[in-house]
Amino acid sequence: MPDAQTEVDKTSEPAQAGRDGGKFERKAQAVSVTAGLRPDVDGGRVPDDLAREAVFRLQNVSVHYGSNPAVKDISMNIHEREITALIGPSGCGKSTLLRTLNRMNDLIPSARVEGEVAYHDQDLYARDIDPVQVRKLIGMVFQKPNPFPKSIYDNIAFGPRVLGMKGDMDEIVESALRRAALWDEVKDRLKENAFGMSGGQQQRLCIARSIAVSPDVILMDEPCSALDPISTGRIEDLMLELKEQYSIVIVTHNMQQAARVSDRTAFLIVDLDADEKNRWGRLVEYDRTEQIFTNPQDKRTEDYVTGKVG
Amino acid sequence: MSPLAEVRTAYREELKALEDQALAGVEMASHSLERTLEAIEHQDIELASMVIADDDRIDGRYLEVHQGILSLLARQAPVATDLRLVAALLHLIRHVERMGDQCVNICKLLPLEGHEPPRNDEMLGKILAMGRQVIAQMKHARLAFSHRDMELAEDLVRQDDVVDKLNREVFRTAIEIGDDVEMREWGMHMVLVARALERMGDMTVDIGEHTAFVVTGLFREFQDASHPELERPAGFARGTPDG
Repeated sequence: MPDAQTEVDKTSEPAQAGRDGGKFERKAQAVSVTAGLRPDVDGGRVPDDLAREAVFRLQNVSVHYGSNPAVKDISMNIHEREITALIGPSGCGKSTLLRTLNRMNDLIPSARVEGEVAYHDQDLYARDIDPVQVRKLIGMVFQKPNPFPKSIYDNIAFGPRVLGMKGDMDEIVESALRRAALWDEVKDRLKENAFGMSGGQQQRLCIARSIAVSPDVILMDEPCSALDPISTGRIEDLMLELKEQYSIVIVTHNMQQAARVSDRTAFLIVDLDADEKNRWGRLVEYDRTEQIFTNPQDKRTEDYVTGKVG
Repeated sequence: MSPLAEVRTAYREELKALEDQALAGVEMASHSLERTLEAIEHQDIELASMVIADDDRIDGRYLEVHQGILSLLARQAPVATDLRLVAALLHLIRHVERMGDQCVNICKLLPLEGHEPPRNDEMLGKILAMGRQVIAQMKHARLAFSHRDMELAEDLVRQDDVVDKLNREVFRTAIEIGDDVEMREWGMHMVLVARALERMGDMTVDIGEHTAFVVTGLFREFQDASHPELERPAGFARGTPDG
């Protein structure tokens, strides 16, 4: 881990770094008792550990692409400094749900988000929110490592430069690479092209790149699906380290990965309408991961995690 | 980072913590037995009732470790040595719970004997010797398991022979204890106590067998009670007499 001086100052008013001084910012607010008692799933039990503040509160969130629903009526809280896993069969809307958390769906013209997505009690979809600022605070790592065709150094420095972050760029780069457990492997070849790295290293570079702009949340969309088991193990170890500082939401097809690393797991299924024309994702069960994998409350979750259906 | 750097450290720590928790359970049971022996020696009904009450802590430890193991199996899918260790821990913690229960069984007998029952010093001495031997075995079983020490594990069989011998002697003394009804009643209770201690001794041997299972991947009973005439299985060295 970096020492205190080299660490990027996470508290330095993120609003100033924004493109047009958007109002979007991270707020530390205590959760009121009543807010904590809101069930995480409609009609579901209230999980333990209400002390952890919610980073996201989703209320009846639905996403449509054109007239087709992708996910419907999702209500859940995502907790701070935890790893939350979204699992479920193909087409259940896990990735769509993940992308609503940093407004990546904005980039798809036909996408429409309904319901309430609150980030630290701010409406994420309010008109005056700057999406660039959103994506700075809520970073994303994709399925396939996607480094820029630039040097390792420039990959990390890109975000901070664009956002006009203050501070010594060398320190920002080193700090991000250290936090992504990559520094020792690349410190002697920072000027080399990132494409020369292994797949696992590239993915950790992408994680370092998202850390470099001092985010609050890191979203991961199948971050290990292109990696071998050892690289996967390293990313998972890294996630467990990063959750001390960041909140992580991960979409994974690998149920065992959700079981290994996450604190909470949300299980989504595909629903069909009567004439089977439309299909959309729905949240079935959301609970502590241990509970989901030892004693799920819903038969559909049980059938999915035991591999009876998929 | 070298190519062989250790990964999944959090999982390893979790597994280690579970083992420590389970082995500390053996110590809890051992402590319970110490107090049980003291209660027998001084016919201390109050202490006996404390042992009974404190058994909830041992039961709680059993539930904790059991739940932890379920969670670890479900989440981390341990394999190879790790899987054997987890399976062995399930047995071990079950024995801990049973040992605690045997102490409770003994302590429940004490009030039945009345305030100052007649006692046979020779028999009491044997019971206490048995108890101390079992406590020593519990310690050895714990150390054998935690150090994966095959020799110490196998030596538990030899150590347990001492308990079995004392058990037979207690039984014989009970038969020859005389005609006094109260004395006979006390003697019968002591036979039951000896039986409970003998069971606890067997459990320490079983922990030794699971130690061998973790180390070698083979499960063989050190001693086959249903075929005592058979030689001890080859491959397991006999313990040293002074172990």
